[in-house]
Amino acid sequence: MKIELKVNGVDRRLEVEPEERLLDILRERLHLTGTKEGCGEGECGACTVIMDGKTVNSCMVLAGQADGHAVTTIEGLGKRGSLHPVQKAFLEEGAVQCGFCTPGMVLSAKALLDRNPHPGKEEIAVAMSGNLCRCTGYDRILKAVERAAGEVEQ
Amino acid sequence: MYYIRPQTLAKALEAGEEPGMLYLAGGTDLILKLRRREVQARGLVDLQAVAELRQIRAGGDWLEIGAMVSFADLLNNDTAAQEARALWLACSSMGAPQIRNQATLGGNLANCSPAADSLPALLVLQAQVRLLSRSGEVLLPLAEVLGRTPLWQPGTLLAGFRLPLRAGVSGFAKLGRRQALAIARLSAAVALREENGRACGVRVAFGAAGKRAFLSLDLAEELNGLVLDRGFTELACRQAKKVISRALGERASAPYKKEAVAGVVREALRTMEFVTSGEHADVDRKGGRGNED
Repeated sequence: MKIELKVNGVDRRLEVEPEERLLDILRERLHLTGTKEGCGEGECGACTVIMDGKTVNSCMVLAGQADGHAVTTIEGLGKRGSLHPVQKAFLEEGAVQCGFCTPGMVLSAKALLDRNPHPGKEEIAVAMSGNLCRCTGYDRILKAVERAAGEVEQ
Repeated sequence: MYYIRPQTLAKALEAGEEPGMLYLAGGTDLILKLRRREVQARGLVDLQAVAELRQIRAGGDWLEIGAMVSFADLLNNDTAAQEARALWLACSSMGAPQIRNQATLGGNLANCSPAADSLPALLVLQAQVRLLSRSGEVLLPLAEVLGRTPLWQPGTLLAGFRLPLRAGVSGFAKLGRRQALAIARLSAAVALREENGRACGVRVAFGAAGKRAFLSLDLAEELNGLVLDRGFTELACRQAKKVISRALGERASAPYKKEAVAGVVREALRTMEFVTSGEHADVDRKGGRGNED
């Protein structure tokens, strides 16, 4: 089946199988491997992307469901030398260890800040609650999002 | 398997009547079941483009909630926050933000997991279920639908829910292993009207205590007419233990849930005090990792 979607601002037309997931087409067809597959069942959030402004687990979205929608992956944020404030804050706070959860974490934080540039600690915790990290203990990640919120403010 | 996305209800119904076709709502349950081959489908009829199914509307005496309304949509709706407090709380405690953005109330019923978060809430809110098929539309009490297996005949489209407005206060609480993502180990919803300090029209429902969410008519009867004081809460908690004990019988989880239900009911009753509009239920959503209690 044919689908059309906007990925990181670029229109893409793809021939896909109905069984394929958004995660599969991002990684295997578009080679955007920043989106990770962790659990594959919506528990860990490693495959988080932003679809029409809302975070979704791309392992639970069929390619067909994404037809006609706009998707932002981690590749659509900053580039080396011009990082997104969330990416910058993650580096500055040391919020990255193995890095596997980081793309999903960054996108959950971005979606929050796009919606609400001044989140409280509670809101940050809720917004990040669907992303698991097995390394950091979360503290630095949450601090990084707070720091990014400060940056976005300025 | 193939995939279609009809734009109208009529087209969706027509497509759903074909043998082997399944309706696709948010997909957070169905996609996993298809991948695990627990469910087979010749094709999927994605309902995302049928605008009528995405609406929340309050009109006259009713709150109408379309089947494709997501948990996040419901959380952002002020009328629902006021009029369907138990449901609002259930939605806020369900899953992670990513899941709430995608999962729908219709899908929660259609999938009908024993732990489905919205169902105890919808039960105490006296939800009626709107079902469409070639032969027309029927409205059935949710409690009646939950007594049927299958819930409805093939070719039926779940269009949404209808809840009476101004039906009193309601609350919801659940026990999960951790706050975010946790599948309910046990959930309770309560609704009642206060008249001269006494509880009227009491309804209590439980989830994750048996195959499907259920209303406890016995418990409701025992609580009806009682003065709403501390004693009310204590009696509700004590009697809930008996209800859960009966519902679970010899199941391995019974000794645990029978005790735990007292705390869940106490919490559900406590949430009923927060019925002012526009207020966030962050009191119950610490959001982060792990419970405080």
